[in-house]
Amino acid sequence: MPVMPTRQLIAAGFDDLERAKRFLADKELIGLDLGVLVGHLSHAADPDQALLSLLRVIEHAPDALKLVKDPSLAPGFMRLLGASDALAGFLIREPSALQVLAAPAPQVMRGRSAMELRAELLRAVGADPSAGMPPVATARGEDGYRMLRVAYRRAVLSLAHRDLGAADALEAMPAVGRELADLAAAAIDGALAISRAEAAERFDPADIADLRLAVIGMGKCGAQELNYVSDVDVIYVHSSDRLEDELAHTIATELAVGISRAIDSSGIEPGLWEVDANLRPEGKDGALSRTLESHAAYYARWAASWEFQALLKARAIAGDALLGAAYEAMVAPLIWSSSERDGFVDSVQRMRRRVTANIKPSEVAFQLKLGPGGLRDVEFTVQLLQLVHGRVDETLRVRSTTKAIEALSMAGYIGRDDAQKFDSSYRFLRVLEHRIQLVNLRRTHLMPHKEAGQRVLARAVRSSVGGKISTAAGLLQRWSETKRLVRQLHERIFYRPLLSNSANLSADEVRLSPEAAQSRLRALGYADPKAAMRHIEALTGGVRRRAALQRQLLPVLLGWIAEGVNPDAGLLGFRRLSESLGESHWYLGMLRDSNAAAERLCRILSNSRFITDLLEVSPESTAWLGDNKQLIPLSYEALWAEISAKLKRNPAAEQAMRLIRLVRRREILRIALADGAEAIDQDTVGRALAENDRAAVRGALEVAQRTEFAKTPQLGEFLVVAMGRQGGKEIGYCSDADVMFVQRPFKDSSPEDAQAQALRIATAVGSLLGKAMVPAIAAEPRLEIDAALRPEGKSGPLVRSIESYEEYYRRWSQIWEQQALLRAAPMAGSETLAEDFMAMVQPLRYEQVMGEEQVREIRRIKARVEAERLPRGAEPERHLKLGRGSLSDVEWLVQLIQLQHAKEHPDLRTTSTRPALKAIGAAGIIPEADLETLDTAWSLATRIRSAGLICTGRVSDVLPTSWPDMEAVARWCGYAPGEASVMEDDYLKATRRARNVFERYFYGFED
Amino acid sequence: MDRQQEFVLRTIEERDVRFVRLWFTDVVGSMKSVALAPAEVEGAFEEGLGFDGSSIEGLSRIYESDMLLQPDPSTFQILPWRGETEPTSRMFCDIQTPDGLPAAADPRHVLKRQLAAAADMGFTCYTHPEIEFYLLRSSELGAEGYPVPVDRGGYFDHVTGGVAQDFRRTAVTMLEAVGISVEFSHHENGPGQNEIDLRYADALQTADNIMTFRTVIKEVAIQQGIYATFMPKPFSDEAGSGMHTHFSLFEGDTNAFFEAGREFQLSDTARQFIAGILRHAPEFTAVTNQFVNSYKRLWGGGEAPSHRSWGHNNRSALVRVPLYKPGKGQSARVEYRGIDSAANPYLAYACLLGAGLKGIQEGYELEPQAEDDVWGLSSAERRASGHDPLPGSLHDAIRAMEESELVAEILGEQVFTSFLRNKRDEWEAYRQNVSPFELRRYLGIL
Repeated sequence: MPVMPTRQLIAAGFDDLERAKRFLADKELIGLDLGVLVGHLSHAADPDQALLSLLRVIEHAPDALKLVKDPSLAPGFMRLLGASDALAGFLIREPSALQVLAAPAPQVMRGRSAMELRAELLRAVGADPSAGMPPVATARGEDGYRMLRVAYRRAVLSLAHRDLGAADALEAMPAVGRELADLAAAAIDGALAISRAEAAERFDPADIADLRLAVIGMGKCGAQELNYVSDVDVIYVHSSDRLEDELAHTIATELAVGISRAIDSSGIEPGLWEVDANLRPEGKDGALSRTLESHAAYYARWAASWEFQALLKARAIAGDALLGAAYEAMVAPLIWSSSERDGFVDSVQRMRRRVTANIKPSEVAFQLKLGPGGLRDVEFTVQLLQLVHGRVDETLRVRSTTKAIEALSMAGYIGRDDAQKFDSSYRFLRVLEHRIQLVNLRRTHLMPHKEAGQRVLARAVRSSVGGKISTAAGLLQRWSETKRLVRQLHERIFYRPLLSNSANLSADEVRLSPEAAQSRLRALGYADPKAAMRHIEALTGGVRRRAALQRQLLPVLLGWIAEGVNPDAGLLGFRRLSESLGESHWYLGMLRDSNAAAERLCRILSNSRFITDLLEVSPESTAWLGDNKQLIPLSYEALWAEISAKLKRNPAAEQAMRLIRLVRRREILRIALADGAEAIDQDTVGRALAENDRAAVRGALEVAQRTEFAKTPQLGEFLVVAMGRQGGKEIGYCSDADVMFVQRPFKDSSPEDAQAQALRIATAVGSLLGKAMVPAIAAEPRLEIDAALRPEGKSGPLVRSIESYEEYYRRWSQIWEQQALLRAAPMAGSETLAEDFMAMVQPLRYEQVMGEEQVREIRRIKARVEAERLPRGAEPERHLKLGRGSLSDVEWLVQLIQLQHAKEHPDLRTTSTRPALKAIGAAGIIPEADLETLDTAWSLATRIRSAGLICTGRVSDVLPTSWPDMEAVARWCGYAPGEASVMEDDYLKATRRARNVFERYFYGFED
Repeated sequence: MDRQQEFVLRTIEERDVRFVRLWFTDVVGSMKSVALAPAEVEGAFEEGLGFDGSSIEGLSRIYESDMLLQPDPSTFQILPWRGETEPTSRMFCDIQTPDGLPAAADPRHVLKRQLAAAADMGFTCYTHPEIEFYLLRSSELGAEGYPVPVDRGGYFDHVTGGVAQDFRRTAVTMLEAVGISVEFSHHENGPGQNEIDLRYADALQTADNIMTFRTVIKEVAIQQGIYATFMPKPFSDEAGSGMHTHFSLFEGDTNAFFEAGREFQLSDTARQFIAGILRHAPEFTAVTNQFVNSYKRLWGGGEAPSHRSWGHNNRSALVRVPLYKPGKGQSARVEYRGIDSAANPYLAYACLLGAGLKGIQEGYELEPQAEDDVWGLSSAERRASGHDPLPGSLHDAIRAMEESELVAEILGEQVFTSFLRNKRDEWEAYRQNVSPFELRRYLGIL
């Protein structure tokens, strides 16, 4: 037995050398020159597999030895066996197919014509391709299916043989895709012939013959760029001269179902691929086949914008050619006017999301098709350009991706160099996909996970890339370069030309006409493309470093800004920010180096007026976006440490107060940025804002007391008590601070003097925080102190002593005042006084007995508030605070229950609404489902209120009515783009339900 | 500018149209109209036509700002009764917000949304209404304080040379001229009462047609010196004016209600659709029977269906399955008989369709059909057979609707709220009114 030198096996690409040696010694190979055979096997991508398959094939078909012995045929045979286990299996099932390989594959791939393939597959099932009538098969049932599938696979075998033999697979790729599409079409024609034969068992043959059925290919089949294995997307159209509509429809459906059965039902010869008709009108719920008129009516009335874009690829592929042509003619004008349709921008954004959507996390690293830099990214860019510019430029109206790239380049929409790179990247990815699919003839777009598989793939594509990559590492590197290139090219191709003004246009770059550039901007969602062009010019003009860097960055940023609600404002905001940050190196560095930060910034600029305004006056805060640690709100202790340090260093009241207010403004911005980056949840936002105000109030109190005591000695203790939502730590971005002021004279001071001093301090606190400063603090959301919840409301004294409070509450207290005390919490000032005050109010708020009369009183007050407090002309359904089922309804109900039950349920003793709702549920006072209704309404109203301010920069307690405001609010609240009306409906629904619950428990209304 | 729009502009030129009326509907179903000069039409296509929403019922409290009318060019028609000298035309409009989005308060949009929901389930909905109305000598009351009918003809009577004959001939001609085919017309059973059936069309087109129909009928009556009313019950002792409507659902080109060999050839889909309508009928009665007066028809005896029941060719049932004609699978349908001629067709059809679809989605079981004349049963018998009553008054109907999540879903929260508000106001006004009945009955004796 001759021994094969190991080195020779390694050189030929074998992996498992021991096994190879054992196989080569097999009796089937006796008589062959093994050195020559190993030479042939070296052509195979996977020589190990090729050798194993060879032995199996010879075992079943000794004839195969002839191919091995012929030096002109053997390399092609080995390439095939080494590339596809599935086709080797086919040869074992159908040895006669070996004769397909009996001619050498040419260096330059030659395709077979659609007509030839159709005739071949029709004849295979015994149908006459030249008949004037629709061809009908003589074979049917299992036999017919087998004949059809065998003929199809023979044709695939022949194609794979030629594909693998081509010197340059990238060159051959479009021809391979075209032939696969034509072959799929031929298979459908063959299947239709079988289906017609089978239908004769149920219908009159004359009726069947009268029924014309055209099959429209969509997607890759329509575009003639099919993969080896892919679902084939189709749409069916039928017509008949003489049949009644119902019968025609029944027969057409029967024929369509028959096509799927012939192609894909299980059988001895396995099914080919799925015939997918889900792109038809009304999707999978719609009728399988329709008449031309019915299609036309659907597109005229119902079709969504993306459906017109899908038609870009529609092509009549099988069945009745005239009817198919009529369908093509019907849809053509629809495609090219689609960019003018309402909803085009939306559907473009949806297309964009499809690029990155639905990738399983475990597959991200292996996806060829999805994800940034994948095949779909190329297709998206190309189709978008076709749709935007194809409306006026008819040369772009082609179906396949490779042709479209060529057309876009010829017509000057893509630079020649970019087009060439784009085209070869696309072809490279497609060839990888083809080779991967060929192995098992399975539909997959995943790179092999194991190194061995990757090495085989590398060998499979080596010829096309100059033989440079034959290792797994080489392949992966080339692939990641390609992905990066594709990703950049999307930006380069789509956005870069928007930047081209004469100053910075390089010779190779495309010069778009202003009209073309504006169409692109409009397709992205810029409402005023002319202004956008001006901003772009201002940002990129000139020779400074900033302009140079922005020329690099802007293509990406333009896309992100366009995803916001108001791209025009976003771009303007970006321009202002860039101008005020000037040449700060960290800013440009952050944009360049941190994608996450740049994307957050773009989103915020185009969605939030409030934050844009704040950023403009403190642009350095932009840096936080690049650092998640900076997006955590400071704790109260940290805030107070900073403020008290500033107070120590700055004895002058004016200066100290300015610093405190700047800290507060800065922290509001931080909280808003964190909110926008979804780094914190809604409850945290409310709490952080409340703590921020609390620190500011304490600072102001310190300043006020310092000023006062410099003039007069301290006469007593002083306390600020938080009330309302501030007490509950659930405030919004521009809430007032609800407070009460308490004082207690020192034992040796005069009560009158102490009261007068406390009043001076309380007044000073309010004005230190609320008054405008000179010079003004720009964009500051000022803190208003509101003491209206004090005893006797606005007509009572601003400050009382603790004794006075006690006296008042004992003798005069109204039920609403007890209710207000439910949310009292110490805010700033003397700690001993705070303790005594809280101990004093404890029995008032938690230990009262609520008689019928008190309950009736509180109901009456609420009813009056409902009637009176709502601003004139405001619609109750849309008022977030006082409206039907909104914040105040929920809070009043919670408070009533606290007054009634906090005595026996200590868990109810909380100042915050949501924890109180939880406690009410735990105590079993109201069923959980009702509490959930209340919680939903309360949370949504709170969220919308915050969002309204963030987006518009204005305080508003009303659900917005204008669309851009509502859309912006909806996105801030986490709704998907375009779902403003969903949010509106959700809000109205949530509050309607909450109102029902409220009325039931608060007023005791029962049906 | 699409082809439809070009067609409209060309027709306006060629026919020398002097005015284009833009038509739309408020929540109670009153037709509103704005006239445009031909030169303004192109602008209206491109940008819509601004108008003050606060003047329109149902839009008023929702939007402070201006609204837009977006004319639908596929509904363009020359109006025949305006004569050849100054041709006038009309288009229906969608109401939009200033940003070009559908206004949630537009009844036409409510129906469109429901049709889209049906389309998502694979259905196209077709409807076919039979509209009853009275012809009166004038809109003024007669000497006895009652309206005066034009004639005293009975059911199927052929009154030779009567005013009604001329009226019908002219009306049918004019309806044909605006593209509304009339399937059959005959004299209903009250004096001066007429019925005209519109042909099958998809539900949106039917609703548009009903709005046009009412306008045409009123115009023709005025031309002939008489008055037409769609009031649900103008005479205490005569039959009211209903708008029985036949519904069918198609999946592609197939009638989804038809299944050969089943009882009444009714598919499961049809049974579930009927069950949906029957279960939810009390909740949407405020929409299908929206006026105080509607309940006088519903509870006035005769053939008016006032209880939840269905039957095959049973004229007392709320939902009727018409007689099956062999070989006509495509015409399988169900007829809802509760709705009256004064309903807002967009909202009423949206509710009926929505309730039927709900039945299909949830797979509701259909109760056995009513074998007997429901009116002939005692109330205990009716209760025992599960034939619950529909709401007895507008007030009851409002209460039932307020509790309905389904109707809120179908109408959208905004229309739901504004519709209820409008109806509560109406009920309030009615309750405060001292009627001639009370005066006659009590004044003399108390």
